[in-house]
Amino acid sequence: MATSDNKLIQVKDLKKYYNGESIKALDGVSVDINKGDVMVVIGPSGSGKSTFLRSLNLLEEPTSGTIIFEGTDITQKKGPDGKKLNIDLHRQKMGMVFQHFNLFPHKTILQNMTLAPVKVKGMSQEDADKKALELLGRVGLADRANAYPIQLSGGQKQRVAIVRALAMEPDVMLFDEPTSALDPEMVGEVLDVMKKLAQEGMTMVVVTHEMGFAREVGSRILFMADGKLLEEGSPDAIFNHPQNPRLQDFLSKVL
Amino acid sequence: MNFATIGQNIVKLTAKYWDKFLLTGMGYTLSLAAITVAVGAILGALIAFMRMSKIAPLRWIASIYTEIIRSGILAVDIGQTEAARSLGMSHRLTMTQIILPQAIKNILPALGNEFIMIIKDTSLASTFFIGDLMTQVLVVKGATYLTIEPLIMVAVIYFALTFVLTKLLGVFERRLRRGDVR
Ligand SMILES: Nc1ncnc2c1ncn2[C@@H]1O[C@H](COP(=O)(O)OP(=O)(O)O)[C@@H](O)[C@H]1O
Ligand SMILES: [Mg+2]
Repeated sequence: MATSDNKLIQVKDLKKYYNGESIKALDGVSVDINKGDVMVVIGPSGSGKSTFLRSLNLLEEPTSGTIIFEGTDITQKKGPDGKKLNIDLHRQKMGMVFQHFNLFPHKTILQNMTLAPVKVKGMSQEDADKKALELLGRVGLADRANAYPIQLSGGQKQRVAIVRALAMEPDVMLFDEPTSALDPEMVGEVLDVMKKLAQEGMTMVVVTHEMGFAREVGSRILFMADGKLLEEGSPDAIFNHPQNPRLQDFLSKVL
Repeated sequence: MNFATIGQNIVKLTAKYWDKFLLTGMGYTLSLAAITVAVGAILGALIAFMRMSKIAPLRWIASIYTEIIRSGILAVDIGQTEAARSLGMSHRLTMTQIILPQAIKNILPALGNEFIMIIKDTSLASTFFIGDLMTQVLVVKGATYLTIEPLIMVAVIYFALTFVLTKLLGVFERRLRRGDVR
């Protein structure tokens, strides 16, 4: 199944150290992310999940290792054409959703969603508005287009953050604990949007503590601990037949 | 269009418009560049000299304003930069569209506070007979031999000034902050 043109992101021996070598946030992670994967990353706090995710779009600069995204090694300073690698171009193709939403408070919902498409991709404001309204409609927020972020609930903010990233038409969506900052009653509405996105075939990498979501929506589960990828498998394999003692221990605590 | 015609056109244009290119155009380009560099150098030198000055108040002024602006920028949540960059926005776009508009909201109130502080501190300038409120006390005192009355009068003015300005600043600050929390 996994032919080479099916691979969207290839991560090879990725390491990220802080304070010299004293903190090994990532200690040699290798994994291929294929088109259409809904890869859910689980593991105890401090195991390197965020660092892994944030390395994929180089919000964190890896200490060593390679990340090949759509055929380009984005960890290199120079692109294949010998010119300086423009990471902005690759980031446009990787949407990211943060735990704390990070909406732009001084811009309306519509402006939040159209700024990058217009200023970065050169889309016309009319086209960008149209696209944004259509996306907002899909998450049930078309009537909030002219509101400011402060006027929205947490769940609404996160839905906007998701469609803001989608407005750039990315090839993969990265989620870092998208429901961890939400009041419990709002978790469902955000997970529903993510589930719909997965069903539409979007490639997703999701760091989450929502084991129900991982089990139901995930196509592959990664278990991380101490900066290492300790176990990888289908939801059934991971949740029903865990092998690694650290995973067994982790699951006994969270399930 | 081929290279020969392009070449001929260039020759023709050179004959007809050489002054436009060589005098007007180049003149503007060079002067613009010169002005930019000059303004930059003057501002830079000014701040640098102020920060290195032997005169303590100058050092102090330069460091206060650079610090107000620097911390105004740093106070903007790092998540804003990360969100912008993750959308593919360049460093420059992120600065101009996302960070600076929010930093202004930190910087303006701080400058306002600074202004109010300075109003009080200018009383020290009366030592040099500059003409400020405190100097007027000395003037009135010199003319009338009354000490306490003019002092009370300017004290009231100082109080009214700073009180009203502080209140205005508070209103202004609240207006700035409206719609601001993520
Ligand atoms: N900027 C940083 N400086 C120093 N240590 C860091 C930094 N960011 C993360 N770490 C450390 O790296 C490890 C992995 O962190 P993180 O990726 O955030 O874990 P997770 O998302 O799984 O909770 C932790 O031990 C954390 O303290
Ligand atoms: Mg994390």
